[in-house]
Amino acid sequence: MKLKHVMIVLKKEIKDLIRDKRTIISSIVLPMILIPVVNIVMGGGIQKFEKEINENVTVALSQSSNTAEARELVRDRILSKNPNIVLVDTDDPVKALENNEIRCIIELESSYAEKLKEGMPIHITLQYDESKTKSQAAADIVAWAVEEFSEEIIKERITSLGLDPAILQPVNIERVNVAPNEKGNNMMLEMMLPFMIAMLVAIGGIPAATDLVAGEKERNTFEPLLTTMPDRGSLLLGKYFAVTLFSFVSLIAILAGLFIGYMVNPNSLTIGVDAGLEGITLDPLALILALLITVALGMTFSGIQIALSTIAKSYKEAQTYMSFLILATMMPGYATMFIQATDLSPVMFTLPVMNTVAAFKMILGGRIDYFNLVLALVTSIVFVALTLAFAASLFKKEKVMFRN
Amino acid sequence: MERMIEVTGLVKKFGDFAAVDNVSFSVAKGEIFGLLGENGAGKTTTLRMLATMLRPTAGRAFLKGYDTQKEPEKVRAQIGILFGGETGLYDRLTVAENIAYFGELNGMSKAAIRERIRQLAQAFGMEDFINKRASRLSKGMKQKAAFARSIVHDPDIMLFDEPTSGLDVTAARDVHEFILRCKSEGKTIVFSSHSMSEVEKLCDRIGIIHRGKLVECGTVDELKKNTVTMIWKNYLSGWWVRNEAETCDDSTEKRDKGPDT
Ligand SMILES: Nc1ncnc2c1ncn2[C@@H]1O[C@H](COP(=O)(O)OP(=O)(O)O)[C@@H](O)[C@H]1O
Ligand SMILES: [Mg+2]
Repeated sequence: MKLKHVMIVLKKEIKDLIRDKRTIISSIVLPMILIPVVNIVMGGGIQKFEKEINENVTVALSQSSNTAEARELVRDRILSKNPNIVLVDTDDPVKALENNEIRCIIELESSYAEKLKEGMPIHITLQYDESKTKSQAAADIVAWAVEEFSEEIIKERITSLGLDPAILQPVNIERVNVAPNEKGNNMMLEMMLPFMIAMLVAIGGIPAATDLVAGEKERNTFEPLLTTMPDRGSLLLGKYFAVTLFSFVSLIAILAGLFIGYMVNPNSLTIGVDAGLEGITLDPLALILALLITVALGMTFSGIQIALSTIAKSYKEAQTYMSFLILATMMPGYATMFIQATDLSPVMFTLPVMNTVAAFKMILGGRIDYFNLVLALVTSIVFVALTLAFAASLFKKEKVMFRN
Repeated sequence: MERMIEVTGLVKKFGDFAAVDNVSFSVAKGEIFGLLGENGAGKTTTLRMLATMLRPTAGRAFLKGYDTQKEPEKVRAQIGILFGGETGLYDRLTVAENIAYFGELNGMSKAAIRERIRQLAQAFGMEDFINKRASRLSKGMKQKAAFARSIVHDPDIMLFDEPTSGLDVTAARDVHEFILRCKSEGKTIVFSSHSMSEVEKLCDRIGIIHRGKLVECGTVDELKKNTVTMIWKNYLSGWWVRNEAETCDDSTEKRDKGPDT
């Protein structure tokens, strides 16, 4: 095996792959735009919807309670604190609710004025349409306003009795968050990002690996290559490093896409929810270890992919094997995706895919455990060696190299 | 005469099946040796063993004095190969890049490659498309590019495995011309075919291979004169197998000459 030969093959494979539109689109273009576009489209929709729900909440009084005094009470006292609620005057509120002209009907019992004066409980009915999200939300918004109004009256009454309203709150509760980093709302990030990194690196080399062995066999370029001077090991390594490189191209593309997306519109990082990046601080040493674990993951999967591509009798068959590989990769990925940084166990750090997810979760969660990170790195290196040895053994097998 | 290829008792088994069974022959420098045999006779397997792609089950092969099993890299550096059917060019690389890649792999310097490409482009009339991607070439252009690529490192030995199979008459004639051109440059050539007329036209000596065994061997004239006419007559309808004919030497050197030197 000669480094010079490895480099010649690597250089040629990169040139060849870069000129392949299929590989470029699936490894670079798609990953780069996918998440920002999906999130901006979805996030934009969610934000717009949220805005619509909370703004211009139209309500009306029921026919029976629609008097000038009632309107005054509702508009000036009950709903006055929320400028988004609009009291509409309509003759047929039921129909208006049906036609989406209003979102909620408020009905006061007929004797409300006397009862209020005498300090008796009054009854307010809210009519809304459970099947319409906006109507449902409007009922909540109005109910909240009514409750505030209710509390106001309580305070008035207690004060008029010469008492301090504070007697209503015998115990005060205060919560203090002791989580490190004073994390913001980055759950979304803690869940998605590690999963995404591991998945992308694990499957990113697939187009390249499929092309570089099964593709070469299919196009009859493999045999001439085998008759050139370099030994099989050098040819394998050149291809292996090209595939590894392409595993990271997708990750870099997606991170670049996320970064650009974040600069343009912060909500592109998460679906309209505040990304909460402010509270995150990254431990540099832990980050380096995690990156090394990720590189090892990429190499492990490059070895597996080259092996599958070599075993396959045709390009089609290679693609089929690769789809199974994607499924097999997703299982450990999903299994760890929802686990919180505080619940990570050492076993997770010893298995491919899981180890990368766990390492990044740990770092984003701000609870660094160097023992687990080193454990992950050491086991990763073992996997790299095993998979590469497997691929190399296949490259030496006549039965798989020459199938007639 | 200098023996460029020396094959003794070569055997290749796939499981229990012997695809090549105790084949021996030698080829002198500048000679064209034809391996004639029907489909499945063992021609490709034999050539693959010479090219170090397959390991022999038994026997040995020396190319330019290098043992295919002990010094496979040195052997590969001495040979150029052309397969029949597909040209095996990289579609996304230009003709020049295709040629340069094989030059680099075979240990040539960048400067030497540049000069060689210029020379080959001229020799094969490829100046117009030398910088075009292989995918955009016509069949004829691809064939020229494949010729050029196979000799970029100026190998002393050329192996052709049914290079005309699937080609039309003109393309086949181009291949024949290329083979003769290699000969005129002093290269030693092994050439496999299932076409009698093709072999007769090009080869100095012929080995007839049947079910893995080399059943006849000699110059065209020798084979024509001798008992072997039987084989010629029966070539398409069936095979006449001469059992003891398992060794085949240069026409100039007889079997009783003794062991390898
Ligand atoms: N890799 C292989 N595995 C099993 N059998 C093979 C393999 N390669 C060739 N053979 C068998 O060996 C015999 C000789 O094949 P081959 O050398 O390709 O013949 P030819 O080139 O003369 O047509 C055939 O019967 C073929 O099926
Ligand atoms: Mg053949």
